Amino acid sequence: MNLWDRLATIDRRIIYLLVALGVIIPIVAKLSFRVTPLREVRQAYEEIEKLPPGSVVLFSIDYDAASMPELQPMLVAMLDHCFRKNLKVLMMGHWPLGLPLGQIALEQVAQKYHKKYGVDYAFLGFRPGVAAVMINLGKDLRQVFNTDYRGTPVDSLPVLRNVHNYNDIAILVGLEAGATGDAWVQFAQARYNQKIILGATAVVAPDLYPYLQAGQIVGLIGGLRGAADYEQLVQVPGPAFLGMPAQTIIHILVVVLIILGNLGYFARRQGGRR
Amino acid sequence: MNVLWTWIAAGLTLAIFSFLYKDNPFYKFAEHIYVGSSAAFWFIYLWYFDIKPKLLDAWVMNTGFEKYILIVPAILSVMMLTRFIPQIAWISRWAIAFTVGMGAGLGITGALQGFLVPQVQATMLPLWEPVSSSTLYNLGHSLNNLLLVLGTITAIFYFYFSREHKGGLGVLSKIGITFIMVAFGASFGYTIMARVSLLIGRIYFLFHDWLHLV
Amino acid sequence: MMRRTIPLIITFISGILLVFALFIPHKPFGNLEERFNDWYIIVSGFTMILGMDSLLLHHWNKIRRRQADWFHSAALIVAFAVTLVWGFYSGIKVGNPFDPKSTFLQYFYTYVFVPLQATMFSLLAFFIASAAYRAFRARTLNATLLLVAAVVVMLGRVPKGSGASVVLFGIALVALAVGLVLHGRSLVDLRGQLLAYGGAALSILAIIPIAKYFPTYLPAVADWIMNIPQLAAKRGIFIGIALGGIAMSLRIILGIERTYLK
Repeated sequence: MNLWDRLATIDRRIIYLLVALGVIIPIVAKLSFRVTPLREVRQAYEEIEKLPPGSVVLFSIDYDAASMPELQPMLVAMLDHCFRKNLKVLMMGHWPLGLPLGQIALEQVAQKYHKKYGVDYAFLGFRPGVAAVMINLGKDLRQVFNTDYRGTPVDSLPVLRNVHNYNDIAILVGLEAGATGDAWVQFAQARYNQKIILGATAVVAPDLYPYLQAGQIVGLIGGLRGAADYEQLVQVPGPAFLGMPAQTIIHILVVVLIILGNLGYFARRQGGRR
Repeated sequence: MNVLWTWIAAGLTLAIFSFLYKDNPFYKFAEHIYVGSSAAFWFIYLWYFDIKPKLLDAWVMNTGFEKYILIVPAILSVMMLTRFIPQIAWISRWAIAFTVGMGAGLGITGALQGFLVPQVQATMLPLWEPVSSSTLYNLGHSLNNLLLVLGTITAIFYFYFSREHKGGLGVLSKIGITFIMVAFGASFGYTIMARVSLLIGRIYFLFHDWLHLV
Repeated sequence: MMRRTIPLIITFISGILLVFALFIPHKPFGNLEERFNDWYIIVSGFTMILGMDSLLLHHWNKIRRRQADWFHSAALIVAFAVTLVWGFYSGIKVGNPFDPKSTFLQYFYTYVFVPLQATMFSLLAFFIASAAYRAFRARTLNATLLLVAAVVVMLGRVPKGSGASVVLFGIALVALAVGLVLHGRSLVDLRGQLLAYGGAALSILAIIPIAKYFPTYLPAVADWIMNIPQLAAKRGIFIGIALGGIAMSLRIILGIERTYLK
């Protein structure tokens, strides 16, 4: 077995070990890298920034624990921004398994700014039916959510008293780990002209660029990098910002692995031909 | 109390990571717990966010027509459950037919109004668009517009399988595949980014919440 | 009749109503649409639990027959039962299992369910790194394009990626040059040799612009890839998918596609 063969056949467990170390070392060493926010994230930030106090922002939790590391920091940073600007926050979701994650973040950030449930924010919960829910929210919110998640009638919550449909919601923020973001755009934006910002996992984000260029969404926050951008914009560095060094190191590691793999592959092919 | 629970969480996390070495009983155990409890979640959700608010609470809060019309969806829902009893499982077809029909209708309206029309509109870009005083910048901007239009159209042609890709169509689909390759490459890069982020999240949990090293 | 015709009629009516309501959003279609959507919201919740009986039955049978790994099946059933009981118990106690005061949310969800799901998916980081190493080969021009786009995006989207990119692309280009020289030496015809040596010289020369521009412009290049070629191709693909989806939905509504009745 010569050097080239070795390069082409590194055991997968060695690769696993390198990946693990590449994440652990920068985290334990507490490295931190500054980011320059991407234009589409800055756009999202500015849309929230220019809302007058008291405007209603509706968050939709369309992810679960499987994508929590990417989307949870995004949610926390955006909630921080909203509460700091004294905006009213409503929350719902289409992914039942992840919905409590949204609620946990909501309670945590609301407490930080001493906001009151029912007055400054409310948690509507979940209804099955995705597109049907989105269309009916444009007709009459009370038809879909007759109560909040605790069963309190919507009309007895001051924050919801004047919210009847999308006309009363300044911006909808969808946090997406799948195709629910497309549905938000196709039903809430296309039909009711709702302004939408989408935050998405890095797997989903590339597919959302067509909406951004078409003006169907007014901001796009993609992956941990997007979350780190937002954390930096609102100046609450959190897990996303802290994760950037590890992210960088693994990307470099993967590129090195790709180069090694190709070197081994071509060298062996040459050898085979000779 | 929380310390104990953090240890449980860390134990489960490590049990799943142990799969990286090889498949083993610890991993299998954790995996089965995950599947079992996520199945139960659906029942909890069905009750607290569907049956209770939409049927029971609505029945109490509404009067007259709005109250009694709830019988229709209630019957459809019960029909859905006949699927669990083989002898009368065919009844569930009525309810399924309703959800399938609704799904199809929603699909058409979403794709047409929400995607095709606005996306085609957004592709109708001017091929010469002076947006700044610099000619070079305008040239670049217009070239980008051209690439956007070209890429969109040729990518559609690449997926047009009703005719053989020869001659003009062949050239178009070749250009199309070039764009598609770049897109897949970019998506793959982003996918790696996403997966790495998930690992960062878990490692952060282990070193921050469990071991308090960070 | 009861088993086939009526379901087809139900599908037709519910589907066509929504299409009408899109074009005529006033009475009666608009209101009917709202009503049907509302029913759909209620009924579609029940589709979430279809198939659950086969999951539970499968594992129950495994336990009963003491099949291999029956212990794990038992864990699954126990986890199912514990989740269900704890969830409803918390619900009865504080009104909703997802209330911040609920022990179900505080303990079970946070410390058991979330770690399991999140870790399960984080395994993919290891697998994808290993897959990239194994499968990402610059075999053809198209494959090379895909690879270069992936690498530019990966490095262009992280802080400090630009600096690293110079070194990495430098190594790759030097390797390419060495490979081409070796390849040229093994050839016998002059034209092939010249091509190989020329290619080697070009790849060495390509290092200069990369060293000069990548540190500053790599993020911009990644940005351009995302916003122009990537976007264009995705739009083309999704337009194709949307057209296909509309055709499929029409087939369902018109009763041509009936596989769901099986």
